[in-house]
Amino acid sequence: MTGSVRTWWHRNSALWPVALLALLFALPLAVVLTAPLHTPSTQWDHIAQVFLPGHLASTLALLAAVLLPALVLAVPSAWLIARFDFPLRGFLRWALVLPLALPTYISAYTYAGLLGPTGSISVWLATHWNIRPDIMHLPGLGWVLAFVLFPYVYLPTRVAFATGMSHVLDAARTLGASPVRRFMRIALPLARPAIVGGAVLVAMETLNDYGAVKYFGVRTLTTAIFRSWGGLYDPGGALRLSLVIIGLVALLLYMERRSRRGLTTTAQVRGSRERLRGGRAWMATGWCLLVFMLGVALPLGKILGDAWTTLPEADHTRLWAAARNTLLLAVLSASVVLLVALGFVFRQRVTRRTGALVRAAALGYAMPGAVIAIGVMALAAALDNWSGARFSLIGGIWLMVYALAVRFLSVGWRPLQAGIRQQSASLDEAARMLGASPWRTFTRVNLPLLRPTLLAAATLVAIDVVKELPLTLILRPFRLETLGTLTYELAGIEQLREAALPAALIVLCGLLPVLLLEWLGERHG
Amino acid sequence: MRYMVPFMLLIAACQSPEKGPETRYAPREVNVYSHRHYDVDKQLFALFTERTGIVVNVVQAGDDELLARLEAEGAKSPCDVMITADAGRLGLARSRGLLQATQSNVLAAAIPAHLRDPEGYWFGLTMRARVVAYDKTKVKPEEIADYADLTKPRFKGKVLVRSAENVYNQSLLAAMIAHEGADAATAWAKGIVTNMARDPQGGDTDQLLAVAEGLGEVAIANSYYVGKLMASTEPEKQKARERLGVLFPVMSTHGTHVNVSGGGVARYAPHPAEAMALLEFLAGEEAQRLFSEGNKEYPVRPGVPVASELQAFGPFTADTLNLEALARLNAEAVKVFDAAGWR
Repeated sequence: MTGSVRTWWHRNSALWPVALLALLFALPLAVVLTAPLHTPSTQWDHIAQVFLPGHLASTLALLAAVLLPALVLAVPSAWLIARFDFPLRGFLRWALVLPLALPTYISAYTYAGLLGPTGSISVWLATHWNIRPDIMHLPGLGWVLAFVLFPYVYLPTRVAFATGMSHVLDAARTLGASPVRRFMRIALPLARPAIVGGAVLVAMETLNDYGAVKYFGVRTLTTAIFRSWGGLYDPGGALRLSLVIIGLVALLLYMERRSRRGLTTTAQVRGSRERLRGGRAWMATGWCLLVFMLGVALPLGKILGDAWTTLPEADHTRLWAAARNTLLLAVLSASVVLLVALGFVFRQRVTRRTGALVRAAALGYAMPGAVIAIGVMALAAALDNWSGARFSLIGGIWLMVYALAVRFLSVGWRPLQAGIRQQSASLDEAARMLGASPWRTFTRVNLPLLRPTLLAAATLVAIDVVKELPLTLILRPFRLETLGTLTYELAGIEQLREAALPAALIVLCGLLPVLLLEWLGERHG
Repeated sequence: MRYMVPFMLLIAACQSPEKGPETRYAPREVNVYSHRHYDVDKQLFALFTERTGIVVNVVQAGDDELLARLEAEGAKSPCDVMITADAGRLGLARSRGLLQATQSNVLAAAIPAHLRDPEGYWFGLTMRARVVAYDKTKVKPEEIADYADLTKPRFKGKVLVRSAENVYNQSLLAAMIAHEGADAATAWAKGIVTNMARDPQGGDTDQLLAVAEGLGEVAIANSYYVGKLMASTEPEKQKARERLGVLFPVMSTHGTHVNVSGGGVARYAPHPAEAMALLEFLAGEEAQRLFSEGNKEYPVRPGVPVASELQAFGPFTADTLNLEALARLNAEAVKVFDAAGWR
């Protein structure tokens, strides 16, 4: 009896800090969830009757318009790269991840500058061929966002195709199943969790975007938030609309969990790749190259070209300072996220379940950056007033790091969770049987095995922080400029060509971790 | 815990950057929350520091975000001056109790009464007009005298304008509601929706480029975007300006709709004297001239020379509606846009 109490205490004494941490990270969400209690909405009738139906319908339409092309771009490419050898495969393998470095708003401006009604390609085509492409509508935006966001599906799906199912696929191949049949009957069903997980990230990023949808004139729940906040002067209404978004994301996450049910990945065996020859090889290269040209080369070429022409006039000290601040923020936020996420994963490993608090804390990703910023600010102000502190938390870099960590916690936590799920429970049992405490088991057994995932998770968070805009804008201290805020300043006054230089640096800052991630992936399989 | 080492190092590294507004020697300073993000503002702040020795600290973000930040910070806010690019937001800041009433004979003399708050809560610093840019090859300027002319059948499928989310569209409509009532404003908005060349997309510059490309004949745009287009060195924009003419429609018996970018002293400003000094400097002749030259905005101060690109548009009569009305009627304007189906 005393033994079990002691075990209970032993288990849970280490877990309290984790629970507190989860609480800390769930607080901004609580501010939004309890909005009806503390912030009245003055225009709710109008919002509910006029805004909500239209904005909700076009949000759902946009989600479909992004997800379908994203899957079309991601899944076949992942399949080809993971299972076959063809010319340029080595290059395309990592090149297809590069769009991750492009923030959606920059990519929207860039594609519109090329293929919008007055874009340079459109104008050229109109003068020479008398056709004028126009991508500035909802389906066009769907493709634009799909081209930036598809790596969220491509990456996990490629890993799933390459490692998680090799033995089955190899067996099928030996038994003479055609590549198409192997793909449809084995690979797709087995990769479903990876595909759905990636698709959920794509959906969340779409829900969160403000710059691109606004520029394309597409109405979403996020524009509705800004419209009721800035247009109707009704912050209460904006908070209630955030609640709708959170509901939508909770639904997506629930669906994702259901799709994972009953599936466990087992062996981590890297399968052999089949060498394609002749026409089939060129078709594979052609497809991946097409995705690369349209999704990477085209926008990047435009951004770098514009950046190059504006380089001589630019204020270089300002640019470098902004780049340094951006990287510092990225590293700090990624470190905080990792520490917290590791706490969560540890708790999960010991208790064998994900607490509701942890799940709530990870919902920060569902909230628009601006809403998190406001929630965090309200908390800090309350804390200031309550403690009577003479210094304000607001305007400090740590408050900003906290808010960024809240926002991107799930980006770091999800890969760790997935990574540790692949570690067999028998490992832990062996360590425990040998007398190691849960903490020691975690730090000496689980953690070292998790190292590649750890770096990958940190990288994803860092990229997201570099790309983040609204939250950074609101919470940044005096005189702190980041590449995002610099780009926004110029894009906000429609000086898009001048905005290309900081945008190019954002992309380059994003590229470094993406390449690192790929290099690590190569090393660790 | 060797995993902790890099993290600790980072924390240490992080202590060094900018300490924020409070420094030990405390030189005179003024903290500005600004929605304006123009190079000319930076030049002006630097000039102000040079003249007065007062250091200017700036946070730039969207109007709404800055207002929310000011509100959340409450009595502890470091903000001295709130600068927005829309009179509506200044009025909103006043009604939320975020600004304080001030007395300044300098500002009262420099700024016409309709461009500042009657009780000194905020002051317009630069003016922008909502103008019409037209295709010189297809439209005669006599065809449009009033904003209402854009709703005539003559312009069916020819009008280019950006989305109703845009604050300058909202303030234009708010002014119309103030002068002519909500019903007339709704009828006008419906007329524009009927005449739109395409669903609203892009920014003001995109509407101007679209006119130059022949995708419509008239565009509603902000004067300073037109001025910037005219001053641009980019080839496409230079091509566009050959084809564009600019005219100033009126609102029946009232003048052309104008909005201001302006500032007010924050309610809990820690440096109110410095804040007033900054506002007075920005309303001075030199700053007003630089605003116009550098950013193609109209000075609020009478008698200050206007940028040459703007002079080329010719003179105009600005609506003298007190801009305090824009804040009061903004929410109604948004509803009118919704009723008219203007996206």
